[in-house]
Amino acid sequence: MIRIGIDIGGTFTDFAVWAGEAAGYTAVHAMKVPSTPPDFAAGVQNGLEKLLAEGRIAADDPMLIVHGTTVSTNAVIERSGPPLALLVTAGFRDVLDVARLRVDRPVDLFARRAPPIIPRRMVFEIGERILADGSIDRALDTAEVVAAAQAAIAQGAAAIAVCFLHAYRNPAHEAAAAAAIRDALGAVDVVLSHEVWPQQSEYERASAALLNAYARRALSGYLAALESWLAHRLPNARLLVTKSNGGVMAAAEATRMPIHTLLSGPAAGVTAAQALGAMLGEANLLTMDMGGTSTDISLIRDGGIMVSHDGRVGDFPLMMPVTAIEAIGAGGGSIAWRDGPVLKVGPRSAGARPGPACYGKGGTQPTVSDAYLLCGYLREDIPLAGGLTLRRDLAEAVVAPLAAAIGRTVEATAEAIIAVATANMLANALPFIARLGVAPAELTLMIFGGAGAIHGPLLAAEIGIGRVVVPRLASVFCGYGCLVSDLRYDVIRTVHGRTLAAADVASTFAELRAEAESWLTAQASAAIPGYDYAADVRYAGQSFDVAARITPEAAAAGDLAAIAAAFHAEHERLYGHAHPGQAIEIIALRLRIEGALPRPGAVALPPGTEAAPPRPVRARFDGAERDVGLHDWASLPPFWSAPGPLLVAQETATVVVPPGFTATIGTFGDLILERS
Amino acid sequence: MDPVRTEIMRNRFAAIAEEASNVAYRTAYTTFVKQTQDYQVAMASVAGEFFAYPMKSGVTSSVCQNVRGVVDEIGIETLVPGDIILTNDPFSGDALCTHTMDIHLLRPVFRDGAIVAFAWAFIHASDIGGAVPGSIAPTSYEVFQEGVRIRPGLLYRAGELNTAMWNFFADNSRIPDLIWGDLQAMMAGLALLDQRMNELCARYGTPEVLESVADVLALGELKAREALRQLTPGQYRFSDYLEDYRGDGHVFIHACMTVEEGGSVALDFTGSDPVVRLAMNFVTGKRAHPFLCMPVINFIQTIEPTTPVNGGIIRPIRTHAPIGTLMNAEFPAAMGNRWVAVMRCYDAILGCLNQAYPGGIAACGAGQAGIIAASGVDGRTGRRHVSVVEPFIGGSGGRRDADGLDGIDQPVAFLRSAPAEVVESETSLVLRRFSYEPGRAAPGLHRGGHSMRIELENRGLSTTITVRGLDRFRFQPFGLNGGASGSAGSTVLNPGAQSERNIGKIDVLELAHGDTLLMITPSGGGFGDPFARDPALVLAEVLDGLLTTEAARAGYGVVINGKTVDMAATAALRAVPRPTPPQFTIGPARQALERRWPEATSRAMAEAVLALPAGLRPYRLAELRREGAATP
Repeated sequence: MIRIGIDIGGTFTDFAVWAGEAAGYTAVHAMKVPSTPPDFAAGVQNGLEKLLAEGRIAADDPMLIVHGTTVSTNAVIERSGPPLALLVTAGFRDVLDVARLRVDRPVDLFARRAPPIIPRRMVFEIGERILADGSIDRALDTAEVVAAAQAAIAQGAAAIAVCFLHAYRNPAHEAAAAAAIRDALGAVDVVLSHEVWPQQSEYERASAALLNAYARRALSGYLAALESWLAHRLPNARLLVTKSNGGVMAAAEATRMPIHTLLSGPAAGVTAAQALGAMLGEANLLTMDMGGTSTDISLIRDGGIMVSHDGRVGDFPLMMPVTAIEAIGAGGGSIAWRDGPVLKVGPRSAGARPGPACYGKGGTQPTVSDAYLLCGYLREDIPLAGGLTLRRDLAEAVVAPLAAAIGRTVEATAEAIIAVATANMLANALPFIARLGVAPAELTLMIFGGAGAIHGPLLAAEIGIGRVVVPRLASVFCGYGCLVSDLRYDVIRTVHGRTLAAADVASTFAELRAEAESWLTAQASAAIPGYDYAADVRYAGQSFDVAARITPEAAAAGDLAAIAAAFHAEHERLYGHAHPGQAIEIIALRLRIEGALPRPGAVALPPGTEAAPPRPVRARFDGAERDVGLHDWASLPPFWSAPGPLLVAQETATVVVPPGFTATIGTFGDLILERS
Repeated sequence: MDPVRTEIMRNRFAAIAEEASNVAYRTAYTTFVKQTQDYQVAMASVAGEFFAYPMKSGVTSSVCQNVRGVVDEIGIETLVPGDIILTNDPFSGDALCTHTMDIHLLRPVFRDGAIVAFAWAFIHASDIGGAVPGSIAPTSYEVFQEGVRIRPGLLYRAGELNTAMWNFFADNSRIPDLIWGDLQAMMAGLALLDQRMNELCARYGTPEVLESVADVLALGELKAREALRQLTPGQYRFSDYLEDYRGDGHVFIHACMTVEEGGSVALDFTGSDPVVRLAMNFVTGKRAHPFLCMPVINFIQTIEPTTPVNGGIIRPIRTHAPIGTLMNAEFPAAMGNRWVAVMRCYDAILGCLNQAYPGGIAACGAGQAGIIAASGVDGRTGRRHVSVVEPFIGGSGGRRDADGLDGIDQPVAFLRSAPAEVVESETSLVLRRFSYEPGRAAPGLHRGGHSMRIELENRGLSTTITVRGLDRFRFQPFGLNGGASGSAGSTVLNPGAQSERNIGKIDVLELAHGDTLLMITPSGGGFGDPFARDPALVLAEVLDGLLTTEAARAGYGVVINGKTVDMAATAALRAVPRPTPPQFTIGPARQALERRWPEATSRAMAEAVLALPAGLRPYRLAELRREGAATP
């Protein structure tokens, strides 16, 4: 079975192609084609046509196409969706605007809270009430629901979301509201909060229902068009879509629950890092994806991806489990400027247009990429992806005024810009690592994305990380992530406030298992599923909970003692203290199910020939121009090794090996930097 | 100042502060620390100014505090490596500690035998003993009701625990183990700061690191002065009032702000009322204290957003409150509910800033710091369980280029609300409503922020509701430059029932089974002429159900027919001449009060009373006011 990973970026659409079982990781083919905004499907089709033309795939090959898309994400961030309506429990009309009350920068006298995704006039109060224990306090008046839905549609609503209090405990009123609307008004798009994510917290759940409706409008047309093109051109291809939790789902499921795609872009890169880390025996990784305007970092600990329950997309929260990613506002396009007496870099960015001055596209302000060029890390004689040739004279011209202002040479100023950018990244990365309770010295840095291979090693040196991996497929790493992602589904039941006997726990887990298995079946998976059961638990009276993971056997038996033991142990591991004598409360029960898909395995590279000699070039390190070797990555055989400082050129990127690091080509062709 | 090293080290300092704060937070025990993040870990220079302060977690408003006063109580020359100072005494240490519930820790950071910095941490302790669980009752009137008090002393001497000190504390708290857990978490943060500071010294050289400390503080000062130079030099005065818990008493707050050439500012609270027999006092000591200049600090961070967050910011500011006033209280004043008084000082300073900044900044916000807590007996265990229900604040004032924040006021805009579903799962309460209250936002070119309305029904046997920080049930938040004044708050028990009664500013209330409590916060004042507001914005509020057509006409001069603005009728209505409004619109209650007690009289009375022995002041002031009320 051929597997193709496709990841769409603003400039390029990346392809990673795996020819099937016989070939391993080292045979994965990387390809980039230009993206075609706003109609991104054209770029995908162009790439597939190119693969057909090159004979890498045949039209009737059975294949899995795994697609990462930002179509839905962009719609949410740009708020470009259609008008929607929300039905809420009476008394809570302002649930979206009040949100969680606090503002992001409280010291700012002119701070504003982001406006809600729909205005108050599109929120309708319904006289119904379910209490925390699930009992019905006030029955639903379906006539009132229908009247509200009619009013919403009259005001232009394209879909109606429903979020009633405690629907996670008793969904009867939400279900009855949907039935009443459909009975009275026909095929209206109704999204119920308990179906999207049945977790306690009305603001977050209402937001989830609305985001799902919003994203569906954006994504369903795109996927339908792509599927119909595939049916005609590649009839034996199956389309899967990546999820924010690092897994994948069938295209039909993505249309039903597109909310799970909203943070899938960066998540795929972390999944790729996890897979490569497993092959390399690297269980603790800091991942770094550096682009033009921002840098995404994430952690892999003991081989596992870190999960977050407070993700954000645009101005909105996501409380379902997603791969934990920290976005730092520093990238290759970050602009250097003077703030009073000091040199600052960012947070403003030259972005893709006009881009850094050295791109020759009209950029007039000095950026980090201009500094790379002046330090010799980027080079005039190595064009960027897409064939763009960089111009040193333009970089010099924009850095010169800054250099004059701070009294340094142009080259020294360039190095200072990079040092300040590194310090910015460090100021965000160190607390992120600390929050997860890891020390930098325990970690290996895995870098990918446009500027990552230049800046990653510099950051590693500054932060105290001793080992860096630059993947062979760094330039299409998220595409590679699509090749190694499995079917993955998360399901939750909130049980906060219930008194649970073992039988209750067992039956709830059985329900979760049935739901998860039916999901997996619907993705047409033949794989034997993997189950990851957990309970969210806290000490009675506390307000923060910990996920206690238990075995399938313990889940099936509703083993309360096993849950308690796992909780105390996890609390001890995370926080350094536990209190086995204290009463505990179970807040929610969870299950993550996984269905494995075929993926490229760890096949070593054949032994290579002699490395080609490096080309002597000049590059700046530690305050001085130095003669260093520029090596051609493609010519370097496995186990080649050389001490830094040096540069390694790939087709479209340069790896900077700072002084004090030794570079080695690993078993699978990846470049590994180790502090000497 | 090295342009590159300063920026690199500023980032380094920020990183280690955030890192230490994260470590402390991760391992802390109590809900106060875990949920409300009422804690912090940071690092100060030898002179006591914070140069490494976290902004992503913990309390962010203490950055302009100074730790040196506490060090000097012990004597810097007596400290050795491994020492940790502990105090929760507001009456010593030059006002680092501002009420007894805050336990402060200080660890000297040594490098090559010399102190190079102080690592600092504090927690809001969930209980330090005293009259009530949690140690805070708004009507406490002596510090003794607010728990145990420990002057600065060594909790650790050269790494050795001072068990006598800790045992004394532990024997006086309801939950000593949990507090000890929090303190251990904070001490882990202190140890990390010590380690990181030593690593920086090893890497960059101790003199270079200390120069960078001086440089980043100097940069903070420089940016602050740049911002303050936007103010017009001169002297500005403004007063505001707190309300008593019983009867119709008031507390007079007076701020005088002097803006000097060169970007410096002095604030003087002379003329404010003396210490009150309520838990509304606080201390500010002899140095410039952030509680007496919060809006000025916020102004700096707003006008110059790249100002490094450190103690250099307060260098161009001087503050003074005479000892014995409510904002520089003497032993044995009670302080548990001080935040509402800090907010009223905020409002008075904002009144001064509005005069000093051309065009003004913002109208006054709701000005209360309401925190609703519910306590009930668990039907199974018989144990009393206390839960925080919601912060209950009300909107901020309209700003010069934006409407007021809805439902929350600027000085407490860091507070998070809890989901109703969580509150209902943890208490016997049902939230019938938690929403904005339409029709109460003060009109303005930029309207004031909306009031919040909450309705709580008790479904349990009996539940005790405590609310601290309520205020402005009579004296409305001021409007600015023609904006209307905000609405006052109100509290009603059992609305719509026969037993309905208006119960005003509550602190503790027993709710019987079936009782319903309805509370509405104040709303923020408006900014600028409401008749100049874009009619489309007025229409949007009408369509959103937040304003009636009648109020749109009366308050904004906007005529709405159905779903559209009648532009011709609006223009005609707006063309009618209206009297020029005063700069501040203060509302009828305050006008009536000031007819009886003009500001000058209130100031003179406060100063006269302050000359008396402390124990006599509240009685004499009450007597003077009674006499004044009796004379026509």
